[in-house]
Amino acid sequence: MRESHFQEHNRFFLNMGPQHPSTHGVLLIVLEMDGEYVLDPQPVLGFIHRMHEKMGESRPCQGFMPNTARMDYVCALPYNHGYVSLIEKKAGIEVPKRAEYIRVITSELNRVASHLLWLGAYLLDLGAFTPILYGFDDREHILDILEDVTGSRLTYCYYRFGGVYQDIDDKFVEATRAFIKRLRKRYDIYEKLVTKNIIFIKRAENIGIIAPDMAIRYGITGPNLRGSGIAYDIRKNEPYSVYPEFDFEVPVGERGDCLDRYMVRVREMEQSLRIIEQALDNLPDGPVRSKVPKKIKLTPGDCNFAVEAARGELSYYLVGDGTGVPYRLKIRVPSYSNLSCLPELGQGILLPDLVSIMGSLDLVIPEIDR
Amino acid sequence: MNQTYEDFKNNVLNLGVDVTETDFNQRGYHLEIVLTLNTIREFAQKAYAHGFYLVFVTGFHVLPQETEGGKTSGLEVVYQFAKYDRLFRVKARVSVSEDMTVPSICHIYHGANWHERETHDFYGIMFSDHPNLEPLLLCEEDRDYHPLLKEEKKLKSFEAVSWPAESPDMADIETQTSSDL
Repeated sequence: MRESHFQEHNRFFLNMGPQHPSTHGVLLIVLEMDGEYVLDPQPVLGFIHRMHEKMGESRPCQGFMPNTARMDYVCALPYNHGYVSLIEKKAGIEVPKRAEYIRVITSELNRVASHLLWLGAYLLDLGAFTPILYGFDDREHILDILEDVTGSRLTYCYYRFGGVYQDIDDKFVEATRAFIKRLRKRYDIYEKLVTKNIIFIKRAENIGIIAPDMAIRYGITGPNLRGSGIAYDIRKNEPYSVYPEFDFEVPVGERGDCLDRYMVRVREMEQSLRIIEQALDNLPDGPVRSKVPKKIKLTPGDCNFAVEAARGELSYYLVGDGTGVPYRLKIRVPSYSNLSCLPELGQGILLPDLVSIMGSLDLVIPEIDR
Repeated sequence: MNQTYEDFKNNVLNLGVDVTETDFNQRGYHLEIVLTLNTIREFAQKAYAHGFYLVFVTGFHVLPQETEGGKTSGLEVVYQFAKYDRLFRVKARVSVSEDMTVPSICHIYHGANWHERETHDFYGIMFSDHPNLEPLLLCEEDRDYHPLLKEEKKLKSFEAVSWPAESPDMADIETQTSSDL
């Protein structure tokens, strides 16, 4: 009797967010707590919901292009990539090979930048301040490279229907090669500073285990899934663009804990660098934009196009009606499904472990809320 | 194509639902399945047993049609499933009846919980047995406002927004009827 009274007394609700530093943006988690243990974490979404789907259905498809970068602002180019590829498929537009190569190079650079930012931010969540400075330093080089060619640093609108906005120059190629060389040299630093750090390992090992069955039930994709040992990568499983022409691996983990998700992302960066190197070596000559009619007409009927964004499967599902404005545009974002497993993943764990789990899921809130 | 593909197709056909093979290069999915309200859960169970994961759940709004039983609601729920181990994408859809209620699949696919809440937000479709059908992305005050429902003048008929029926099939039907005569 006394014990149950004690337990009742210890239960309370805690609001984590919407301004909590480890929710990375405006996400609120309502935690039912028992002392320091989390009983039931319930995410509350929608703080930065902008209804991108409605915007996609109320303007011509060219007008929606800038929106695509404003969902996942950390890794925006795959979002560009998915949308242009979908419209090209629907409207029957040819893309020059050089343009596809440039798309792959820039998308992969963006993926590395995203993983670097994640690495720093995750460690920051765990209380280590230094890695984010290293991560930002390296990421800055990518942003400079991309800024030169795309014109913006985060919310890119670089791809066009039928190609890309402008061709890359020798300066871009040199800077990219220099960056690849630089990042490979930095692996040692990251390994000493983070990967072999006993405090980090203790905070990440055997924490937040995602079993394969759980992944299926929630539709988890991306590095979060690959950490659980399932080698599912849209670039390999459902090849798009010129990805089949490159030789790269899909790193997987074993246990599916936070440490595995960390290792998968770190190893993915090297694979992205390999893709970029191969693309630069074999970069074909030719135009970067094909002739596209001024008014793009989307044939009646539905069409799905999936790409591998930095956080997992991004699907655009479009229904056309013969005009230039999509009749229906559904955007399936990876983090939405990835976060939906948190109430199950976070049951009965310590509050600091919840912070570690949320960090390891690599959440980008504007992408979840759309 | 392969064993899994045929297995799944036959398994779904046993439910007595309409299954169409589609051109993946054209549409980005392999099978289109038209479900009925009674077969949604059984279908989800089968998809789960075959190792499919849930890609998304969403709604779709077209012009209501006059049928013998009365007017349809014009709303549809669209599901997409895919597999981790091979390239196999499935689209399933179900018409929403006048009472705007569809059985929830979130007890089979836990991830459907949020997708169904979102569909409820955007279209006002109810999901029966859903544990918590509260606004997710929209705010409490907009509970009765469903942004993706189209205005009447913008609604198009289902035929106007679907792929044209393949012409060889039409030819088959014509030859059949002429031989019957």
